[in-house]
Order: sequence, then C-alpha cells, then structure tokens
Amino acid sequence: MSVLLLTQAALMPLTAAANTPSSPPESPHIVTLYQGATDSAVALGLMPIGVVDSWLEKPMYRYLRDALDSVEHVGLETQPNLEKIAWLDPDLVIASDFRHARIAPLLNAIAPTVSAPTVFNFKTTLTMVANATGREAQANELLEQWDDRVADFRQQIAAKLSSEWPQKVAVVRFKSDHVRIYTSGFAGAILDELGFAQPETLQSQSWGMKLSSTENIPMLDADALFILLEPDDPAIADNYQHWASHPLWQQLSAVQSGRVFEVDPVSWMMGGGILAANAMLDDLYSHYGLLQPEAAAHQACLPHAGGRGEPTSC
Amino acid sequence: MRTDATLTINSEAKSDSNRLPRRLLMLSLLLLASAGLSLCLGSFPTPPLQVLNALAAPKSSDIAFIIWELRLPRITLAILVGAALAIAGAILQSIVRNPLASPDVIGITSGAALAAVVFLSLLSSTLSIHWLPVAAMLGALVSALLVVSLAWKNGISPSRMVLVGIGLAAAMGAGTTLLIVISDDSAAMTAYVWLTGSLYAAQWDDVWGLLPWLVVAVPISLLFARHADAMALGDSVAEGLGVAILRSRLVLLACSVALAGAAVAFAGGLSFVGLIAPHLAAKLVGRNMAHLVPTSALVGALIVLYADLLGRVAFLPKDLPAGIFVAGIGAPFFVYLLHRSRARF
Repeated sequence: MSVLLLTQAALMPLTAAANTPSSPPESPHIVTLYQGATDSAVALGLMPIGVVDSWLEKPMYRYLRDALDSVEHVGLETQPNLEKIAWLDPDLVIASDFRHARIAPLLNAIAPTVSAPTVFNFKTTLTMVANATGREAQANELLEQWDDRVADFRQQIAAKLSSEWPQKVAVVRFKSDHVRIYTSGFAGAILDELGFAQPETLQSQSWGMKLSSTENIPMLDADALFILLEPDDPAIADNYQHWASHPLWQQLSAVQSGRVFEVDPVSWMMGGGILAANAMLDDLYSHYGLLQPEAAAHQACLPHAGGRGEPTSC
Repeated sequence: MRTDATLTINSEAKSDSNRLPRRLLMLSLLLLASAGLSLCLGSFPTPPLQVLNALAAPKSSDIAFIIWELRLPRITLAILVGAALAIAGAILQSIVRNPLASPDVIGITSGAALAAVVFLSLLSSTLSIHWLPVAAMLGALVSALLVVSLAWKNGISPSRMVLVGIGLAAAMGAGTTLLIVISDDSAAMTAYVWLTGSLYAAQWDDVWGLLPWLVVAVPISLLFARHADAMALGDSVAEGLGVAILRSRLVLLACSVALAGAAVAFAGGLSFVGLIAPHLAAKLVGRNMAHLVPTSALVGALIVLYADLLGRVAFLPKDLPAGIFVAGIGAPFFVYLLHRSRARF
C-alpha cells in the first residue's frame, strides 16, 4: 500500500500542472500514444499526462519540449508501456489502430480509448482528439486557419511561378546507407493539398521507394527536392554528401534550378500533427520566397526555418 | 526386443536418471520463484504481500488489473513459449542428429516469419491483426511440408533435411527482407519488432491459443522419446532395434513443427531458445529424450521469462522486445557450439 501512496504522491505535481488556470476546467488527463496525437493535444491546449518517446530528438521533439515540460513518458510508440499507462490512471487514451490494434482490449480496460486508423493524417487526429476532449471549437478554428493558409499559399505560388506551376516535387529522406522517396503519408498529403505534383517516375509507387545506389539518381528528376536529414547523425550527412557530389546529381533539374531544399524531418514527417504541418508550410513559404499574410497565433510556439533549437517564447 | 534396446541405451545414462527428479524439482522451484519475482516487478515494484493479495482477492486490490491482466498472462505466455521452443529444438536436434539444428536454423521459424511479414505488409489493411498468429502458424506448417517434400528420397535422411532446411530458410529470409524493403516505414517497423520476438501485451487469449498445442504435442513427443533415442544411434541401428524410422521421424517432426510454429505465432521470431535450451538441459540431465524434454522445457521457460523480465524493467519506461535479450545470451553460445563442433569434425 505504501508504494501505491508513494506513486500517487509522485504523480501529484502532474495532476496539479494539468489543472492550471490556463487550461479549461474540463481538461481531462490524457495519454497520447503516437506523435501526431501528442502534437494535436498540444495544439488544442491540452497537457497530456503521458506521451510516447519521439522518433528523433529523443525523448521529445524540441518544438514540443516547452509545452510538455513535466510530462511522463510511457515508452515507445511501437510498444507503449501498458503498466506505466495503468499507473498514470488517465481519463482518456489516444491511440492508432495501425500501431495499437493488438493492445486495444488492454487500453480500453485501462481507460476509454479513441483510435485513429493511421498515424499520419493530421486532420483526422486533430478532430478525433478534439471530439474526445470537448474542444471541437478550437479544432475547427485551427483547421480554418489552415485552410486559409493553404488557399493563400496556392494563390501566391501560382502567381509567382506562373508557367512553372504546378511544381513536380519529391520528398527525399537520406539514411546512412540508402535514400527513401516518400510520395504519400504526412508530407505527401500536404504537398498534394497545396497543389504540388509528383514526377511521373514516382506516380505508380504506393508509399514511395527505397534507393540504395547512386545509379538511381535520375529517379529523382523533379522541379524541386525536399531533403530530409537528421542533424544528430553524421553518417547521414556523409551519405548526402556522397550522393550530392555525384555527376548524375548535378544533372537533376532541381539542382540546376537551385530548388534543392534541406528541411527538418520533424516538421516534414515525424511530428505528424497540425503544429508540424504549419511548420512545414512555413518552410515552403520561405523556400519559395513567398510572404506570409500575418503571423497566425499558433506559429508563435514554433521554431521557424533556420532558427531551430533557439528557445522560442510562447 | 524393444525393451532390451531401451535398456542398453539407458544404461549409459543411468546416473542421469538418478539425478533427474532432483534436477527437475530444482528447476521447477527456480521457475516458480522467478515467476514470483517477475510478478512483483514492473514499472513500479509491488511488494510480494500486495501481489499475493491481488492474486487471492482481486476485487479488493488496487493493482488487480496490473497483476491479473498485464503481468500474469505475459509471464505465463513467456513460460509456455520458452517451453515450446525448447522442446521443439530438443526433438529436432535428436531427429536430425545435429547439435546445431533448431527450428530457426532449418526453416520453420523463417516460414512463420515470411508469412507474418506478408500479413503485416500486404494484408494488414484488410484483415484484423488477430489473424497474425494464424498466418504465422500456417507459414511454419507450409515451410515444414516443403522441407520434408524437397528432402524426400525414399524416406527422409537427416542430413538432406538439414541442408534443404537451411537453403529454404535462406530463401525465405530473402523474401522477408525484400518485403520489408518494399513496404512502408510503419509496416516495416512493426515487422522488425515481430521478427525480434516479443511477449509485449500478451493476453489470456494468447495463452489459451498456445496451451492446446503443448497439451497435444508434449505427451506425443514423450511417447516417441525412446524412438528418438534409438534413432540418435543411426538409422540402421534404430531399424535393427525395431523402430519404424519413417513413421517415428515424421511424428516427432510434426510435434516439433507444431510446438515451434505455435510459439512463434504468439511471440514472433524468438530465435536461439530452441538451440540453447536443449544444450543447457543436456548438460544437466544428459541426452536421453524422456529426460531432455521436460528439462529443456524448464530451461527454455526460464530463459524466455528472464529475457522478457529484462525487456520489461531494465530500460524503463521503455518496454523492449524479449528477443533482444534472448539473442544476447544466445549469440555467444552459438559461437561456442560452432567452435566445439569444428574441433570434432
């Protein structure tokens, strides 16, 4: 029994933090089991009591660290620690069918659980989290802001690039020994919504493809390339150097027109929520030299392109 | 005739049979104590008294859910999986007369793995994940049938079976890798975790799914244990001793495949248990099959139980796949065995 009391005592500060006046009184104790759910919860002004570790910048993406100051970690997204979740005694668990279908019965026994089919549709995730926590109004507002930004971007870029629009683009992630091109998923869906197109070579691919030889560089022939590197891993930078110095690389039209952009894999792929989506859109505005209408409120917390790692005031 | 033969075979292991009951009792007590320890450890350690209370009177305990639904099914499944893999390995090593044989070397596990990865990368959007064990089990069965039919030449010779098995395992391993390469990141990650082998989130349904296989296959393999001992002396000797070699070999092989396939279906590609547990057991009680089966089962259960305990509590709050730790014990042992058998040839 004494252990139980100790445990409860250890969790007390969390409970207190979740009830600070800044959050609405009905703020439930939630545990988020995938990255996009954590991002969405923060976007909705919720303070989860438990989150899973991030994929990069472990244990938590820098853009979410301030908001998730004292949060408990419940292990990996692929195998969240069920016992830890049970000890946290949440009011609500946010999961995804894709990752957590097998543990759904146990999660439901711990707390009411809502589950999204996939992990990378940020709109589904946002709506689901909002519906489960009574924050539909905030979610609608965020989605309206998003739609406005998308409309503005589409209009500006079409005017600026005229005959060069729509651009055929590819999202290219460098790993230490191979390269992956993503055509769908989080970034793919957003690029599609913004009106970007895909090179013909990639259109038949369901999720994208894996390239391990520089001979395949011509597959990357697009109007623009978005390069995802991992700053913490020097082997990835080396591999990028190796590919980028190849003669075939120099012949790519994106290279010749100067449209090869290094972008942050966290906002372009791993974040998976509306905050990450907005950060990705910020990147696109700045890479294409477009002016943002006015700084929307939600961007205040986000690190902007080039300023990553700097403390941002919210 | 047969009794004589058994007597002759057993005489060399006479001292083994005297120490058998004591060894089995010791191992059982060790397993029970380890299960008890495991039941008390988790994200937060719970004192034994509180655990006992939760076990005896779940209604009045705050931690009943954690003990009954999270820790106990997982510990039970770890024990069953370890036992099944170890028995499967013991049988296989004896029928193919090769100390390096195990379900993962001769293609049974690879068949299950290929089927599981096919399921995860191609079918998981249309079929519920609860069919995964069935797919893996079918994969194990199909690959075992393939090994037997490809190795068939007026019966099955052990060495042909090992060679065909290794070849088939390599081919299916290539298929598995290919599928992982062409599937998207999230499916690939799920597949990797499955291939490592994990008891994560074991539920009572899994226990009830695995138990019948053990209940059927273990008694049959004990019934045929004497035949296995005779065959260990060579086919011609066994034939002379009156063993119907082909029938016995097929029955024992079927037991091994059923046990390994069922274990892998519920715990993923846990490797090395089927290889090391029989060897450790043989050091304790000798190579007599009737002794080796229960001893290997206990040793295998202990290995998987501790591997999973490490995965559960060593890197909190992370819950890591047990396969990582089994391999950590298994890999050096495998090298040691290779080294020893090289000296012999």
